[in-house]
Amino acid sequence: MTGAPLLEIENLRTYFYARSKQAFIRAVDGVTLSIARGETLGVVGESGSGKSVTALSITGLVSAGPGVISGTIAFRADGVEHNLLQDLEQYVRLKERDGRIVEVSKDEPGWRKAVERLMAPVRGKEIAMIFQSPKSALNPFARVGDQITEAIRLHTRAKNPGEAKERALHWLERVKIDSPRLRFDNHPYGLSGGMCQRAVIAMALASEPSLLIADEPTTGLDATIQSEIVGLLAELKAEFGIATLLISHDIRAISRLADNVAVMYGGTVVEHGPAPDVLAPGFAPKHPYTTALLASIPSVQNVRDKGYLTVVEGEVPDAVDLPRGCRFYARCNRVTDDIRDKCAHHEPELKEVTPGHHVRCWLSAE
Amino acid sequence: MKLSALRPVTLVLSRELALTALLLLGVSFVVFVILFLAPGDPFSVLLEGQMPSHEARAGVREALGVPRTWYVQYVSWLGNLLRGNFGTSIRTGLPVFGEIVRVGLSTLYLTLGSMLVTLLIAVPIALHSSVRGATPLNRPFTLLAYLVSSLPVFWLGYVAIYLFSHKLGVFPLVSAASASADRAWLYSLLPICVLGIGNGTVSEVVRYLREELSRVMAEDYIRTARAKGASVWRHAFKEGLLIPMTEIIASKIPFILGGAVIVEQVFNWPGMGRMAWQAAQDRDFPAIMGIVMIAATLVRLGSLLQRVVYVAVNPRASKQRRGAGWAE
Repeated sequence: MTGAPLLEIENLRTYFYARSKQAFIRAVDGVTLSIARGETLGVVGESGSGKSVTALSITGLVSAGPGVISGTIAFRADGVEHNLLQDLEQYVRLKERDGRIVEVSKDEPGWRKAVERLMAPVRGKEIAMIFQSPKSALNPFARVGDQITEAIRLHTRAKNPGEAKERALHWLERVKIDSPRLRFDNHPYGLSGGMCQRAVIAMALASEPSLLIADEPTTGLDATIQSEIVGLLAELKAEFGIATLLISHDIRAISRLADNVAVMYGGTVVEHGPAPDVLAPGFAPKHPYTTALLASIPSVQNVRDKGYLTVVEGEVPDAVDLPRGCRFYARCNRVTDDIRDKCAHHEPELKEVTPGHHVRCWLSAE
Repeated sequence: MKLSALRPVTLVLSRELALTALLLLGVSFVVFVILFLAPGDPFSVLLEGQMPSHEARAGVREALGVPRTWYVQYVSWLGNLLRGNFGTSIRTGLPVFGEIVRVGLSTLYLTLGSMLVTLLIAVPIALHSSVRGATPLNRPFTLLAYLVSSLPVFWLGYVAIYLFSHKLGVFPLVSAASASADRAWLYSLLPICVLGIGNGTVSEVVRYLREELSRVMAEDYIRTARAKGASVWRHAFKEGLLIPMTEIIASKIPFILGGAVIVEQVFNWPGMGRMAWQAAQDRDFPAIMGIVMIAATLVRLGSLLQRVVYVAVNPRASKQRRGAGWAE
């Protein structure tokens, strides 16, 4: 058991059905990832690449509608292995005509009940989440402290109110919120964005989870606050070593925190490997998208070398009508004539280029 | 509630009470003027069937001691009101206030009962459809509720009487007042249900609650609550249910009072609505004014209650200081 990863996502597909187009929006399309105990996995990619939907799929928070989630998500905590998507497919019926899905009927109440049943022992207790825009993530009608106390009383052994409050104050101190006793009694609107995010982090850690999912934890905060929050996460990582799925646009945050990095594009993972390998600008066997993404980070180095900022040309592929071949083909600037045909018509596999480092590109497949 | 939360509530209360006084003054003035501009006057009604001459009318006026100009009348009426004197009814000669209190209680019973009926029907439908969306189960209920609630209340009242009293004989044809006291509550169920189901309130409560609840359910903090494994309802209750419910009830009070006037006519219910109707027929100015003032006060009380709940519940509103706008 110890050898097995904490979280193993196999071929996850999360589709939303667009009735008007009679087609699926393939938000997540075949993601395979795993997180070992104590590991921090960074997930990077543009908006719309399926990062957040992946996170929400893990915790069963994908919002309703006739959507389909398939694949397996194995989560091992407390000596029990949970399949977080167990038997969910039985609630969905698809009607296909000429290989195209023309109708989806979903037993929504049954689906939801099943999701809630699967998630009950896990959500909040074993898997905690941190979201972007912390100010709206906290309940504006409840005191900050009470929201943390609630998590503690729900998921830890500290059931009595006084004890739980002490724990909550302890966690508020741990996330370095100033004057925790004062903040405990505050409502969220009285706190700044940075303080709110600290409170949200305290709330997530307070239930002592095995896995922390941070969905763009620094988005929507001031630049200085962003680096403070990243610093805090780094400290907490060093102290507790909780396995973390860190989703971010912020490559600097990723490079500071992540052990491994997965690059997502068009709903799938195009590159996955140790952070230093994936994030090194000059590293040779690498997905062209990663190269372009790294080149577009505003940094002193980038600007000094070139005198301008590069952008990744083109747009993210339409999730309704994903290309048949490589998803990045239309925007790729490294296509050579030898492989052009393959790029356009066949999707490459994730291939191991160096130990632990996988790339989904025909260039690396040679 | 903690003591610290009480201060903002008293602040709101005092503000709202001052506003209410001003509003009541305005309402009384406008209604008074309209009464004088409207055709007919109490003296002709009193002298009905006697071919009232100018002299006869003037004689009655002298006998009752009514001033000649409308503004003197208004000022003296207002002066009496401020001393707690609502005047005497021209028709019955009894003090208006005593009469309103007597009939007001049965109207209060009718309106509160009908509100309860409305909520008992509307809240489950709203809850179910906002959580589940339109399902084969709640769609027909929603449709039926909308249909029934769009029926005019006088028509629904007569149909109910025809069906339940005349055909089925479940309820007697006589009014609640003439029934023996221990069964009065049973006889009052019909008018209460008619006012609660019809009158357009059910559909509006359903719609408003459903919209508010769906909006709140899509809020980030509800997702946070789900992510931490907490009860969604616990977190959604204040903003998604308590506040919209007080809001919609407060805004519906005038309509419920208006509906009560009709229901009381149809069911011969001895309430304020019937008294108002009678007073309007008789041009009984003191009685009309008295009822208008009481009704306006009730409406203001409703919105006052709503403000108080909102401020007591919403930490942001309760922290605002005097002078900082209440707009939210």
